[in-house]
Amino acid sequence: MEQAVVASDAFVALQQRLWTFTQVLTTKAPIAQTPKELVWALNKAKLYRYTPVVAAEDRHRTPLLLIFAIMNRPSILDLRPGHSFVEFMVGQGYDLYLLDWGVPGFEDRHLKLDDYALEYLPRAIRKVKAISGCEEFSMLGWCIGAILTTIYAAMRPDDGLRNLLLLTAPLDFSDRNGITFARWTDEKYFNVDRILEAFGNVPGEMIDYGAKALKPVENYITNYCKLWDNLDDPQVVEAWHAMNTWVTDNIPMAGGAYRQLIVDLYRNNLLMKNELVVRGERVDLGRIRANLLTVIAQGDHITPPCQSEAILAKTGSKDKELYRIPGGHIGIMAGSAAPRTTWPHIDQWLSARSR
Amino acid sequence: MSETQEKTAKPVDPLEPFRAMRDAYLDAMAKTMVEAVNTEAYAQASGAMLDGYLAASAPMREALDKSMVQALQQLSLPSRQEVAALAERFTNVEMRLDDMDAKLDTIAKILRGGAHAPEPPAGKDSRPGVAKAAAQPRGAAPVASAKRPRRRIVRGRNTPR
Repeated sequence: MEQAVVASDAFVALQQRLWTFTQVLTTKAPIAQTPKELVWALNKAKLYRYTPVVAAEDRHRTPLLLIFAIMNRPSILDLRPGHSFVEFMVGQGYDLYLLDWGVPGFEDRHLKLDDYALEYLPRAIRKVKAISGCEEFSMLGWCIGAILTTIYAAMRPDDGLRNLLLLTAPLDFSDRNGITFARWTDEKYFNVDRILEAFGNVPGEMIDYGAKALKPVENYITNYCKLWDNLDDPQVVEAWHAMNTWVTDNIPMAGGAYRQLIVDLYRNNLLMKNELVVRGERVDLGRIRANLLTVIAQGDHITPPCQSEAILAKTGSKDKELYRIPGGHIGIMAGSAAPRTTWPHIDQWLSARSR
Repeated sequence: MSETQEKTAKPVDPLEPFRAMRDAYLDAMAKTMVEAVNTEAYAQASGAMLDGYLAASAPMREALDKSMVQALQQLSLPSRQEVAALAERFTNVEMRLDDMDAKLDTIAKILRGGAHAPEPPAGKDSRPGVAKAAAQPRGAAPVASAKRPRRRIVRGRNTPR
């Protein structure tokens, strides 16, 4: 009789686990919940201002603009209440803005890095300045967002950029053996024009596959095993659910920008050689004068550390720092250790330079 | 009794006995796969697969595009290219408006005697439908709002034509 009860309970527990597992995989978690207001829009791009929670007199004077990659949603910066970089920074008294590039449509297939860095970004910055009433500003670029902010910082050094923060910035492509993407996109094997001819923009699923294929076992198997093993821990499940919601929300990348990324950067490393031409003008990294913090994830397989180290020597900034953190490309900002490591360091560095 | 309770309280996982073995296997596999995908052979194979797919699907894609264009023409509907061209023109108009917005900001600054007065803080805008409407940006236009009655601007912007 007792055995029957145990078996019945075991069946119910297993059923419950399966239900939770399915639920987490098939639903979307509420992410990007920090209150914000849309303050500017152009084409698909939207500029948000996060509602300040600190009194105006106690806030940092210099506003901070967040720039994420163009092929992922920026909601990773505001993943979930209680575990959000945005929420943390707003709480630390920053006047915080986020530029969401939006989802490019077929009509945006010709958009290039030039357009993002010199058409959209300066306009959004103008709006940030107008709203904050401050002529100086700080900018945080993450991943491809760091490429755009670097180009902007070099092309518009007199525009009031005071602090530049680069997170896992893929800027140097010289070590071709250390960068798996560089190997995959070599012109011997990878025909970028044929892809763009077929699709216009690069499909989000293709970009997602590329990122996951760097660590196929972890991304396609181990990740789900971890969820199964921790189904009884609501905190782990909640974190996993939020991250999965972000990871599976893929967006395409504008064809023109993708072509530049592959040909000009991955294959020819033009940015680091100071040979990248944007809107007919050469991008000279030596013109960057803003205070510079480069954050490197030591276990980053998407942007290996070798891609972010050389920028410090190239810029004309007098105040510059390289900060290395154990963790992966996304983990350093959205992982469980981020609130104890990366976020406080960014705040500490920036607050001293935002008064 | 208590023993039974303990047994029933513990969640049952059919994979539990195999977990250590599974983890060791996955770790080994992960290392092998990371090395495998970081080779020239993998780059060559994945490039060839992609090329093969694109080459194989090209004729069907072209045929579909052609027939779609013809069908849309027959129905007097715009093609994808035409809608895209229109969207590009809209973006150009948006940029022109944004430039005008910037010029208005500059004029407003000059009119205020050069002092850089900040725009109303977020959430403090009293215009109806502005703070709430997440889908609609808040236009700056401080000059317009200073010169004209505020209600007229709201009506002009929010009233459907």
